[in-house]
Amino acid sequence: MTVAEETGVVVAPRAERPRRTRFWTERRSNVAIAVLLFVALPLLTEHAMPKLLEQHHYFNLDVGVAMAVAAISLNLLLGYTGQISLGHAGLLAAGAFASGIMTSRWHASMVFGLLFAMVVGAAVAFVLGLPALRLSGLYLGIVTVIFGLAMQSSLLRSSFLSGGSAGVPMFRRVWGSTMTTDNAVFLVVSLLLLLGVWLVDVNVVGTRLGRAFRAIRENEAVAQAFGIPVTRYKLLAFTISGAMAGLAGAMYGHTIGYVNNEKPFDSTMSLMLVIIVMVAGAGRRLAVVFAALLFWLFPSFIESLHQWSYVVGGFLLMATVRTHPDGIADLLHHRRKPPPAPDAADSDGDDELPALPQLPAPARPIEPLLSAAADAPLLEVSDVTVSFGGLNAVDHVSLAVPTGSVVGLIGPNGAGKSTLFNAISGLVPIGQGRISLRGKEIQGLRCDQRASLGIARSFQHVGLARDLSVRENFLLAQHQLAPYSDVEALLMLPRAARAEAEFRARADEAIAALGFEAMADMPVRNLSGGQQRIVEIACLLVTAPELVLLDEPSAGMAPAAAENLATRLRDLRDALGRTVLLIEHNVPLVLDTCDYVYVLDAGKLIAEGAPAEIAANRAVIDAYFGAAV
Amino acid sequence: MQVIVVGLIAGSIYALIALGIALVYKATRVLNFAQAEIGTGTLYFTWWLCTRHGLPWFVGALASIAAAIAIGLLFEVFVIRKMMTAPRVTVTVATIGLFSFVLALELAFFAGTIYSVPPPLHPGGVRIGGVFVSWSQWLALGVVCAVALGLAAFLRYTDFGLAVQASADDPVAAQLMGTPRAKISAFTWGTAGALSALAVLLIDPTIGGVLSPGAFSGLFIGGLTAALVGGLNSLPGAFVGGLAVGVIEAEVKAHLDFNAIPSSNVTAMLVIVLAVLLLRPQGLFGATAGRRA
Repeated sequence: MTVAEETGVVVAPRAERPRRTRFWTERRSNVAIAVLLFVALPLLTEHAMPKLLEQHHYFNLDVGVAMAVAAISLNLLLGYTGQISLGHAGLLAAGAFASGIMTSRWHASMVFGLLFAMVVGAAVAFVLGLPALRLSGLYLGIVTVIFGLAMQSSLLRSSFLSGGSAGVPMFRRVWGSTMTTDNAVFLVVSLLLLLGVWLVDVNVVGTRLGRAFRAIRENEAVAQAFGIPVTRYKLLAFTISGAMAGLAGAMYGHTIGYVNNEKPFDSTMSLMLVIIVMVAGAGRRLAVVFAALLFWLFPSFIESLHQWSYVVGGFLLMATVRTHPDGIADLLHHRRKPPPAPDAADSDGDDELPALPQLPAPARPIEPLLSAAADAPLLEVSDVTVSFGGLNAVDHVSLAVPTGSVVGLIGPNGAGKSTLFNAISGLVPIGQGRISLRGKEIQGLRCDQRASLGIARSFQHVGLARDLSVRENFLLAQHQLAPYSDVEALLMLPRAARAEAEFRARADEAIAALGFEAMADMPVRNLSGGQQRIVEIACLLVTAPELVLLDEPSAGMAPAAAENLATRLRDLRDALGRTVLLIEHNVPLVLDTCDYVYVLDAGKLIAEGAPAEIAANRAVIDAYFGAAV
Repeated sequence: MQVIVVGLIAGSIYALIALGIALVYKATRVLNFAQAEIGTGTLYFTWWLCTRHGLPWFVGALASIAAAIAIGLLFEVFVIRKMMTAPRVTVTVATIGLFSFVLALELAFFAGTIYSVPPPLHPGGVRIGGVFVSWSQWLALGVVCAVALGLAAFLRYTDFGLAVQASADDPVAAQLMGTPRAKISAFTWGTAGALSALAVLLIDPTIGGVLSPGAFSGLFIGGLTAALVGGLNSLPGAFVGGLAVGVIEAEVKAHLDFNAIPSSNVTAMLVIVLAVLLLRPQGLFGATAGRRA
């Protein structure tokens, strides 16, 4: 397949076989759901449902399905996004009370009750998450554990919610005074709701939402550099999780018909949900759902197990996170399918780096700079200072990177090179000075905003989501190109499905151009250092950024590969037309490839000039080898 | 005035929990969710020794502290030490495992009955200027002050204590200074266990000596809030935070506990936590804890 053909495909989405098949399967699944719903609806009359099991068995199944929804909810937050909630029972309770008040006090249909439960769950999660998730750290754990206890001992007993600790009845009102009392019928309803939540979760994983969540879990700085507004996405994850938890609580409540502050949503339920998600396998939907069903069904059939289930659960949790942090599902997965032969990712493969892929322009180019001054250098750093606790890591540094050049930044360890990169890309705030891109000042913008203006950066320790596969990283890198909204993504509406198909096509193309097809679905951490580096640089290029910041690309590479890197860097400028600012310890490489070089020592610029001048500069030699005696 | 004194005494016990949380957080960047549950579990030892074997309270208390230290050390050796390089979230989840394990053991063996631990000292107390302070409260105040000062002195004036502090800022440098990381980690978790047992032993008489599974969740919440108010990684902050939270809680209890919202003191904790995170995420004394994402 030639590049020209692909270009046509990317720019104008028209018939193209593999994509179309993909799109059709997605459509077909939607159709299948609709058909299933219409087949299931007649079953909702009490007479159509066969009485296969006793009512109390259906009751247990109803509870199990509700808890499966709760487990999917926590999995989205803890498994994908890596944020702890120890008060999930509180969110479930909020949903249950919402639906209970709707159906008992306001005589509304359960349909509205369930919707209201989701809204309330999402709203509560939003309010709790807003202060906690702005910060990086485990603050959500603190807020939620206190929230869970406050709900249980205080808020749910308040007089306007339940009149003391009396609680609220939960009617399964269909409409008017029609109720469904049959637990078997309610099981059908519950299963349909589980299916809906399951599909939403599938859509989360299949779009930029899930990729952003998982990138955040792994490394917030890397996620930001890919243009992901981290706070917004953490909050989004908790809000979606809250909506699902609210629904799960309402389902549980409508099963048992009555809720109060202690039953059934006490703090041990929050603990058990954490245990289920972590032990079964954080981030693995099927395992988590299976574990939730198992956990709620087994003890309900074998009464004597009940008091020991938490002892076993707590023990399992410690044992699992200690040795297999990815859970039992991951263990089984590896036993079934041994990892591919190591020679695919052997360091021998490092010697020859593949050429960088020459990708067509993305479908939606990065926002052009409005106030772009054509004659200004692409990047201009003027008089920038970054200080940590009184120490100036970067001290009044000014430099310029003209469009279409490769500019080098060298200096001994601790000279402040990476700090300057962090300042340019927006990971650390600057104390004074200006940073402008094409004449527009950007020092007030967040890292992800600068990324969307066309600044792409690599990291010294490879800025990829290392648990994700090569393919997923290429999809992650296209985050800013997504033309769809969050709601479109959750429901996989046509625009989202189409964009995702385009992203996959571009990712495949990039992987093919690198010749990495065999490794496409391997986690990045299994690749050799050189391979990771070239994937990282190729990922930076899929969005066609204006400026590429490379932080020690030769670090961790075999010497032969590092030599090869020089050619790749020249390709970046000459064949791909990118502008590059390069940090390197490998001085010959810098002198060989750069048009202009800056030398930093102890936070200050000590020299600048063409490579030949730098090579002869006395101050530079002193900085590297110590002052001449 | 009585309210403030009661608040200060409860707050000083919260400070013990907060000190444990802050110590672990400072040294390992892990939130210990089991900080109050360890001591709750081992208080059953005290109950068993004192009521079944008629031993004096102080013997039972020492047994409880020893058991709590053992739990802390065992957890460190078997779990924490194997997770030195694991993400901090995962290690924090492990403490949730310890929390549910201890809580579940309590539930499995002691659920359904409320046990009663004898008081350490005779009931009664002294009245100073219209404020009544019971002997148990005096004991709590004295022990907390001694422990806090002792811990502070140990961390400041011994080489090992300095290494513990340094390990928070720069684990590699601390190791180069010749203090093995494993030793620091063991010390941290053993101390956390001891602080947990002490806090539970001291707060129990103030709530009438009752003992039931999970009875001290309020203590944990108070300590956690106090640690956050203090900045999570600051020991003086944890102490002052404990006192502040205790006083606020007592005031809320005294003035706002109306029927519309029962146990409004717990809701007050939630409000405090949200407010601190919104307005001053680095806490009273914290330096780097509240880094913006």
